[in-house]
Amino acid sequence: MRVNVDLRLKDVPGQLIGALEPISMFNGNIKGVIHRHDEVSGGRIKVDLTFEISNQKGLDLILGEWKKREVDVVKIDHLFETFPLEYVVVGNITPDEMRRITDGIQAIGDVESIDIRYSISGSKERSAMVSGKVRNREAIRKANKFMAERAKKQGFVVIRGFGD
Amino acid sequence: MVLVGFGTVGQGVAESIARKNAMIKARFGEDIRIVAAFDSRTLASNKNGLDPMVLISRKIEKGKLGKTRTVEIREMLPSIDYDVMVEMTPTNINDGEPGLGHIKAALSQGRHVVTSNKGPLALKFREISKLAKKSGVSLRFEASVGGATPVINLTTELLVCEKICSIRGILNGTSNYILDRMESESMEFEAALKEAQQMGIAEADPSYDIDGIDSACKVAILANAIMKKDVTVHDVERAGIRGITLDAINLALQENKVVRLIGEVSERGVEVSPRLIPRGHPLGIGGTRNIFQMITDLAGEVTVAGRGAGRLETASAIISDLVAILKEDGLAKKG
Repeated sequence: MRVNVDLRLKDVPGQLIGALEPISMFNGNIKGVIHRHDEVSGGRIKVDLTFEISNQKGLDLILGEWKKREVDVVKIDHLFETFPLEYVVVGNITPDEMRRITDGIQAIGDVESIDIRYSISGSKERSAMVSGKVRNREAIRKANKFMAERAKKQGFVVIRGFGD
Repeated sequence: MVLVGFGTVGQGVAESIARKNAMIKARFGEDIRIVAAFDSRTLASNKNGLDPMVLISRKIEKGKLGKTRTVEIREMLPSIDYDVMVEMTPTNINDGEPGLGHIKAALSQGRHVVTSNKGPLALKFREISKLAKKSGVSLRFEASVGGATPVINLTTELLVCEKICSIRGILNGTSNYILDRMESESMEFEAALKEAQQMGIAEADPSYDIDGIDSACKVAILANAIMKKDVTVHDVERAGIRGITLDAINLALQENKVVRLIGEVSERGVEVSPRLIPRGHPLGIGGTRNIFQMITDLAGEVTVAGRGAGRLETASAIISDLVAILKEDGLAKKG
């Protein structure tokens, strides 16, 4: 996940390095730092910092280390990067089968959202668009495998997205 | 040189040699002389050279090139004095024959080989590559993938310092034409296929194209030649376009996507499958063209597109391979 933090550091040399060290210590990846010397409040300088960390546990370790080092965290925002998941499924698709597909994809984990749209067709062969968002590429890989197995078992045609 | 196979591609090569030989001689100091040409049943030969246009006329008028042969081509090759064999017999993905036997015979004799035949390359790539290396001769096959689109020589000779991380592309013009017509004219699959057959774009038995077999052969060749894998066509995970409905195409369009049959070689594996391509993406092209997109470590994305099949288009790739051999030989002679 990507994390934006608003830090306040003591206005003495070495404070910025001391604030950045915990990120690399816990395998985070610094994406950007703005050291705002012009914004001093209560003897502390404002620092805007953006970094990536793989999970909440890593973020908690960084926050714990900052507390030890007396780095004030004024504001924190984090968001998960998402990857699109897309399939068009063609075949004799029943509502039960679509439920099995959505349940199967949800069971993979790291799924942010999933949505299904059917075509309006008079024939037995109908199409459905399965789209959603997942939090990592590994989830896409697992979903692709699941869909390929499902297609083989049920005789569907699956047209996969291009995001993997 | 010896021409083996004198169908559409063979005749295209003969015509191209007639058209380009003066230019080749002016630029490289040597001309291309055809000393023997084989079709499926007959042979024409002349150690001083055969007229390519006469060969074409004879084939069209009489349906044959010359004398009926009683011996297999591979057994006749040692008695002919030649430098390069151009193998253009039809692709057979069951055992690669008869092309595989022709290629092995020429390489074993220490002769260069240029081929458009996918079968031997998609089944026995490592074996024939090793044989060429052992004999100290060239095995070139630009025409086997992408027709006139220079994907193999581009990556192996011009992008020579690049690490090729992946290759994705549209490798079969027939499938692409059908998908494009379904999308642009709201045609059902069967109607688009029938139109392609009427136009001569699809065969009477279209399974080789629409079931992704042709694309899988090309994926295997690219994987071996460019990404140094050791795979055959049978290792390629394959799904074709049969069963894709107009409904499915329209659902994709509502999401601003088009459906294309994509071949892919990457670290994850080798695959041919229908995919949802964002409209406006280079791989969303229509018509019968082929397109290849390489992801490299230094140059990033490199994309080439062109005509993937056809008489003179395939001949163009074969002539470029022949000229490359002329240049290599010229350099070797200069020491």
